[in-house]
Amino acid sequence: MTDVLRAENISKRYGGVSALKNVNFAVRPGEVHGLMGENGAGKSTLIKILAGATKPDAGRILLNDQPASIHNPLDSQRLGIGIIYQELDLFPNLTVGENIVIRNLDFPERSIVNFRRIDSFCRPFLEQVGFAGSTRAITSSLPIGQLQLTALARALSMNARVILMDEPTSSLADDGAARLLELVRKLRATGISIVYVSHKMDEVFSVCDRATVLRDGETIAVAEIQSTTSDTLIRMMVGRDLEKRERSASSLTNKVLLSVRGLNTKKLREISFELHEGEVLGVAGLVGAGRSELGAALFGLDRLETGEIRIKGRKAELRSPAAAIAQGIGLLPEDRKLQGLMMQMSVLENSSLSVIGRMQSFGFINRQQERKAVEPIYQQLRLKSSLPSSSVSALSGGNQQKALLARWLMIDPDILFLDDPARGIDVGAKQDIYRIIATLAAAKKGLILVSSELPELLTCCDRILVLSEGRLAGNFTALEASQEAIMAAAISTQRSGTG
Amino acid sequence: MIVPVNSRQLTATVRTSSVLSGDGAKRLVALAAVIVLAIAISPAASDGSRIFLDPGNLTDILRQVSIIGIISLAMTFVILTAGIDLSVGSILAFSTSLTAMALTRFWPGSSYATHLLLTVLLATAGSALAGTLNGAVIALLDIQPFIVTLASMIGLRGLTKWLTENANIDIGFGQDVAAEFASIFRQKTLVIGSYAVIALVFWVLLDRTVFGRHVRATGDNETAARYAGLPIRRVKAIVYTLSGLLAGYSGVLYTAENHQGNPNSGVGYELDAIAAVVIGGTRLSGGKGSIAGTIVGTLIMGILTNMLRLKNVDSNVEMMIKAIIIVLAVAIQKQRKAV
Repeated sequence: MTDVLRAENISKRYGGVSALKNVNFAVRPGEVHGLMGENGAGKSTLIKILAGATKPDAGRILLNDQPASIHNPLDSQRLGIGIIYQELDLFPNLTVGENIVIRNLDFPERSIVNFRRIDSFCRPFLEQVGFAGSTRAITSSLPIGQLQLTALARALSMNARVILMDEPTSSLADDGAARLLELVRKLRATGISIVYVSHKMDEVFSVCDRATVLRDGETIAVAEIQSTTSDTLIRMMVGRDLEKRERSASSLTNKVLLSVRGLNTKKLREISFELHEGEVLGVAGLVGAGRSELGAALFGLDRLETGEIRIKGRKAELRSPAAAIAQGIGLLPEDRKLQGLMMQMSVLENSSLSVIGRMQSFGFINRQQERKAVEPIYQQLRLKSSLPSSSVSALSGGNQQKALLARWLMIDPDILFLDDPARGIDVGAKQDIYRIIATLAAAKKGLILVSSELPELLTCCDRILVLSEGRLAGNFTALEASQEAIMAAAISTQRSGTG
Repeated sequence: MIVPVNSRQLTATVRTSSVLSGDGAKRLVALAAVIVLAIAISPAASDGSRIFLDPGNLTDILRQVSIIGIISLAMTFVILTAGIDLSVGSILAFSTSLTAMALTRFWPGSSYATHLLLTVLLATAGSALAGTLNGAVIALLDIQPFIVTLASMIGLRGLTKWLTENANIDIGFGQDVAAEFASIFRQKTLVIGSYAVIALVFWVLLDRTVFGRHVRATGDNETAARYAGLPIRRVKAIVYTLSGLLAGYSGVLYTAENHQGNPNSGVGYELDAIAAVVIGGTRLSGGKGSIAGTIVGTLIMGILTNMLRLKNVDSNVEMMIKAIIIVLAVAIQKQRKAV
């Protein structure tokens, strides 16, 4: 069979670092092809090369066995390659329709915007992806799932035969992800090929026909999904056997660390729960259910309308993050680049940022003390010792997350709210983060863990709260809970409007 | 595991505060190039030596750049927080007027020493207060610095003109405290010395102190700085206060140099100061920059002015050449950003 898209011996260097070494990659017509690998394995680089966003140093790309020259994104559009980036590249202040037709070679541009013409051009493609809203909606006003559909419709409207999807479900909750996978299958049925970049095993197994595994910029294997197992794939991705994922021993005590009573904020309704010393409390729920807002309320970011938060029995006044930190609450934010890291500062400076005030005399920083203080923490995180003075922007996602987690380990709060800490990072770093969570629990800290991946919650937590539409919809001990029960609770309170 | 690194990130990894590495080296090369050029095209004196290299000329350059130089030191801090201070020119005029008014109208009969001390205190404290006001509005009302300082640039100019009834206040032509003031504050050693000492203090402040670290972190990512529990409002209030303070002190020097308080002085100084900061490699988007860079930027502009004046280049042509230099300097530093 002819491959619809084939990349042969692609190499790419960035400065002194080789990102891709003689990579081969082939996609058949009408297949969903998984592209897997740890962060830094070269997946994104390969995707960018195929999309014309970067040029390879060596190698060639063939479409239907014809050598193709791709110098820019317009070339790849002309050749029928569409791309859905992880961080969607839509214009936030334009309408859905404008986003679809802009720079679209199939939509002849005229000087004056005609919304009716745009609407009739876009409608069939939007229907194909199941987007029911108006083409005149401003993009920034839509939820992330709708944006993804817009991006997908845009690719279809450009007559894409191959669509590259870079971790499309990383920002979607489970229900949105399921719908997207369904759509992917539908598109495959129409003969479109899809390159599906993902970390998530269950997705790859549910939707992909074959998968290519990259490691350290090299093609490790091309596997038929039906005849492989997730353990095999993981082993190929990381190049070593993983510690078996088992429930870590619980450190739960019965001493109450944090008690929340009748909490109401802009997004939360009547939330009450307790967190004990040594407990890992999971928070599940769909995107928009109020998981991050719970963190915002506990960390002094959102104002409480009513309700009471007590820390070790004392009423807490949480007016700002600084106040929350002073009273022993920390928060590892969901978006490490926007809310966590100073990308122009060094790893060391990022980690010591919040406690640097303790390492000074007369305002002058004691740099030796600073360096010494982070050392044991970096060891604990397995962050390479050569890293502290390098810029945090040069690190992989997993190491960036560790640098940020180090900031919180240095502050050492009694209660730490972790908002999806393992999202979008490689398997090895994930394991390190799970280990740190267990270590902190053993040290009698209280941890609140938000995650979109239910298996992660089931292995890490003692108890799992389920939020739905800002309300508490379930409270399970992890041993009793099942993925099905949690999902059922997460979508349950749709009826609460009448009740 | 491979960490995808591009060349920009690699340069970023060697970023330190030292002038001698990375970006700093590039700037020093640029400065050296300007100096060599200035020597090469300098007119010769009667004894054959280069006028540019005459110690008198060299110290003249330093004195001439001191006022903008001092303003641009605090401007560096402001820009590092991703802010801007457009009001420094108006604050300078406010300060010159306060200084001249204090010398000629206030505290008659007090001793020279007391009178001088009170004058300088009044001018600098008044200017710092204007800066604090900028900072407070920016921090508490959360309005963009560009807008707040644009407003105070206009408002303070108005206040200054109203206070002085839009007239210059001449000083220092008699045998009075004002003459004493002018003779002290226009000495080359005092002016250049002030610049050197303040530059050193600000260099240390940025590179060695907790405050400096907080300034950079705030400009790098303000949201993240809030999440990290940093005192963002205080940081902002302080940088704008420092900006006002240094503009005010520059105003004191200006008054002595020009023998007058002038409500119309300092127009466009904010742009010269911003230019020096930007040529020095500090990013307008905040988070990255250095005092060393700003000093180099200031010197490049100063030497260029001197060079062109020695060659009797028309001052309008001078402005056009400067425009090109600003764009070139920033373009060179941006090169490594290319993919």
